[in-house]
Amino acid sequence: MPFLIRCPNCGNRNPYEFKFGGECKTSPAAGADRNAWCDYLYFNENMSGFQEEWWFHSKGCGDWIKIRRNTATHEIADQ
Amino acid sequence: MAATQKILQYKQPESTYDVIIVGGGLHGLSAAYYLAKYHQVKRIAVLERQYIGSGGSGRNTEMVRANKRAHETLPFYKESLEMWDGLSAELEWNLLVQKKGLIALAHSDGEVDAMRMQGDAQRRAGIKIDMLSPQEIKRMVPALDISDRTALPVVGAQFHPEGGTVHHDAALWGYAKAACRLGVDICEGVEAVGFNVEAGRATGVKTNVGEISADKIHIAVGGYSSQIARMLGVKFPVVTIPMQVMTTELMAPFLDYYVASPRLHWYTQQTLKGDLILGGQLDPWQSWKSYNTWEECSERVASILEYFPDLAHARVVRSWSGLCDCTGDSAPVMGPSGIEGLSLDVAWGYYGFKSTPAAGKYSAEYIVKGKVPEKIKHFGLDRFFNRSRVREIII
Repeated sequence: MPFLIRCPNCGNRNPYEFKFGGECKTSPAAGADRNAWCDYLYFNENMSGFQEEWWFHSKGCGDWIKIRRNTATHEIADQ
Repeated sequence: MAATQKILQYKQPESTYDVIIVGGGLHGLSAAYYLAKYHQVKRIAVLERQYIGSGGSGRNTEMVRANKRAHETLPFYKESLEMWDGLSAELEWNLLVQKKGLIALAHSDGEVDAMRMQGDAQRRAGIKIDMLSPQEIKRMVPALDISDRTALPVVGAQFHPEGGTVHHDAALWGYAKAACRLGVDICEGVEAVGFNVEAGRATGVKTNVGEISADKIHIAVGGYSSQIARMLGVKFPVVTIPMQVMTTELMAPFLDYYVASPRLHWYTQQTLKGDLILGGQLDPWQSWKSYNTWEECSERVASILEYFPDLAHARVVRSWSGLCDCTGDSAPVMGPSGIEGLSLDVAWGYYGFKSTPAAGKYSAEYIVKGKVPEKIKHFGLDRFFNRSRVREIII
């Protein structure tokens, strides 16, 4: 396994137990125009370095969790 | 006595160029070649931060094919596939083009139906495509197990006779040599660290060896496009996902075709050298790191062994991974960037290698004429805002 994910319920677990949910984004405010929504849906920071991201522990506790992971080194930041 | 003249000479960049291409992979080098050869652009530099072909160009699985689905993309892939045929002669370099045929297995009636629909779209675009019965597949690939022993037995296949393989390093060296011969400066170890943009117009590239000015800048950086996007203060509609690939030890020839299972996410082919290339699944998460995992290796190998049980003795001897910049609609981003003088050829996911000749050709045409060529008009960045995303499927 390339790295370990610290699940608050289950401890350090193999990432293959999780489903990756992508980078954390802020959705446009109510009444935002179409372009803002297109940008939110399709465009990504796609960070090479630390980013906050969603993971779903599908083969574990079944919770969605947020972690900070360095996508270039796979280092997981302390929460 | 054999000639010892170098086929390729690397240069230090000069201070100004007509066109600067950022990225010394297949797409960048082919764009440079077509600019110099067919558009008579004189001063071209290709900037590569590591060594040419260090990214996806040397990490792909060498598959060339045109069996996609969307009518927007099929003519482009068809032309690209045909361009490989004449390329060895044109570049005076043997690219080991081998159109051996590609067999995509179906494991259910639903898949057969989907392949028929896809085949109709492909035939309409002029691409040869056939359906095969399990018995026909068995005659072509005797090593394949078509019995009911497997969890998902083979019930049919789509045959793409013009699909095949091209040696990726040979293609890279062919384009690099031909471009170099036409006076293109190929600069290794030169990294773009920023861009000079004045009043909405790109005027130059900041590099680790100084600033270089240019009339036109072209971005062909494969999996690293988001790093360029950050320098420009924009975002691209991509996520960078690695794909892991493995090869086995050498074996006597037994597999004449490229065999894939879109359902089970694997493909394999035996190279001219005799080793099998195994791969087919993107990693389940975003990453910029090059690594291989036991989980991916064992899953891929177990799935392939199910259908090629005779391979149980074969050993995996080497593995690697490459970065794929994936868009939501499985189509690339080519053409205008929103900044004048700066053009894009990015977001190629895992279908960049097969697109090399046509992507280079049409990138060059766009750079010179400033008008988006017909064949790439659906690949613009604006499609994400005006409801015209490409209806491609993931295969």
